Amino acid sequence: MAKKKYFVKRKKTCKFTAEGIEYIDYKDLDLLRQYVPVSGKILPRRVSGTNPIYQRKLTRAVKRARLMALLPFLGD
Amino acid sequence: MPLYELGVVINASIEEKERDAFLAEIRELLSAQGATIVKEDVWGKRLLAYEIKHQREGFYVFWQYDGPGSSVKPLEYRLRLSEQVLRYLHLNLDREMQRARKMEKKRAEQKAAKKAHKERLAAAAPAAQGS
Repeated sequence: MAKKKYFVKRKKTCKFTAEGIEYIDYKDLDLLRQYVPVSGKILPRRVSGTNPIYQRKLTRAVKRARLMALLPFLGD
Repeated sequence: MPLYELGVVINASIEEKERDAFLAEIRELLSAQGATIVKEDVWGKRLLAYEIKHQREGFYVFWQYDGPGSSVKPLEYRLRLSEQVLRYLHLNLDREMQRARKMEKKRAEQKAAKKAHKERLAAAAPAAQGS
């Protein structure tokens, strides 16, 4: 009999819903970096578990930060 | 008057005097337009995430000011003309926060409704027990 592979499903939570953050500031780099890996791409919802409303806000904030050269358009 | 946020990245290789003069000019421009500066946040020299105009460093300054909408145009015009300004970003914070305020109001209303409901229940319960 083939061994069945088990894996633990981690519960993903939306940080913004949980902590009640309504406005995502583009200057809050510590926060934004959690959602932007070294590649410079924005983490998708399916990975980070962010709610749609906040994902859109996050995207806007990251793009603003990129414009101000606070975050890279292209990572390493 | 709405609350605005202005972020400016200035060329870091220019002299301090020149930079201070430029900052003073923006401040003057703001007050000339009838705006009051609520907050000034100077980050200072910072490494840029990518090169702009062959510069690796930028001088970051952020302002929050309360001013009329007519102050935006002349201010942006001045920033665009200047060669020292690498980047700028002008936001209407009131518009950004609109949803947050709305949600807060909604939440407060819900809380009040819940409380009122509970009180009504509590008032009805002893009456029911008595009969």
